[in-house]
Amino acid sequence: MDIQSLLSEAKARFAHNSAKDYLREKYKNKFLVADQNGLWVADVTTIATLQSFDTDKVILIDTHNRPVEIDRLSLLTKLKTVHQETMSLYLSEFKELETKR
Amino acid sequence: MNRGILLFAFNSPEYNYFKMAEFTAKRVNHFLNLPVSIVTDKNSYATSTGYAFDNVYTIDSDPNNTFQGRVWLNKGRYRSYELSPYDETILLDVDYVVNSDTLLKVFDVMDDFCCHESINFLMNEYNKKEHLDFSNVLTLPTLWATVVGFKKTKRVENIFQCLKMVQENYQHYGNIHKFSCDTYRNDYGLTIAHRIVNGHADVRSDVIPWNLTHIGPKTYVHKNNDDEFCTDYTIVYDKWMRGKIKKEYITIKNMDFHVINKDIFMELCE
Repeated sequence: MDIQSLLSEAKARFAHNSAKDYLREKYKNKFLVADQNGLWVADVTTIATLQSFDTDKVILIDTHNRPVEIDRLSLLTKLKTVHQETMSLYLSEFKELETKR
Repeated sequence: MNRGILLFAFNSPEYNYFKMAEFTAKRVNHFLNLPVSIVTDKNSYATSTGYAFDNVYTIDSDPNNTFQGRVWLNKGRYRSYELSPYDETILLDVDYVVNSDTLLKVFDVMDDFCCHESINFLMNEYNKKEHLDFSNVLTLPTLWATVVGFKKTKRVENIFQCLKMVQENYQHYGNIHKFSCDTYRNDYGLTIAHRIVNGHADVRSDVIPWNLTHIGPKTYVHKNNDDEFCTDYTIVYDKWMRGKIKKEYITIKNMDFHVINKDIFMELCE
């Protein structure tokens, strides 16, 4: 018996909330960036923090709780790219999810 | 700097772990493009279907462990350090379904050692975190030995040597931390060894910064197609609602997961 017949036979219901949880878990690690001897999360908080400085060099605490001196613009560019690419994939799958019944 | 995956597989009377290892190794090659070495025993190796592992190490398995009345040959992981032929290794459970290139990120995030501390049960929101100490006096969040990344450094050598000591004196540590010693668990052994070697400090850089996804109780996995390297799975969960079981499902793709129920994993290997 194929999976669709099995689900239909069992009157199984698509679990939207669980599916959203799954997507969040799936994309969690994709925001992680190892760069300039530190580990960073390409989230809006880190990006906004980097943008708020105006110096070339900045010292930040990475996700391993270590202070790291970084080249601000280089890291900012990298995090923005990863953020945009990952969010784009996330949104695409999220929209696909919303069409399911 | 060479990298690779190390698996341990000792067949029990109920389960063919070597077959599971071959299934996992093929997926590692496909999704991660990394070589796979295996530690096994002669009887298990005899069931090989011909998959060419990078290295095969045959050792004597220790049959002195049981889980739910069945023999569970899970001891000896402390030998990973001495046996791994790689500079950077991921020690992986054979029942971990590699379904993406996520594990490559482990090499990026680790200093010289890392493993999971936090977990997520797909579709089962009530099963979250496990703590090793049931007395709540010397409580420790459990580290998971399912995925362990390590490099060959003195500190890591100490962790694995300490794991040997904990395995050999498991009853003693069980008494201290008030957990059941009836079944030896690598997760508990690793948690204790890691704490001892790090002076009982909580070293956050040794924790993989995302959750280990489990397929837990009352949850079933079905392949969505017959491709050898199928990436799409349907997860079905028996949800208890108003005195009845209602089946719920989601579909997942390109996401790794660890299957706790070996019968379900064996079905995926077929």
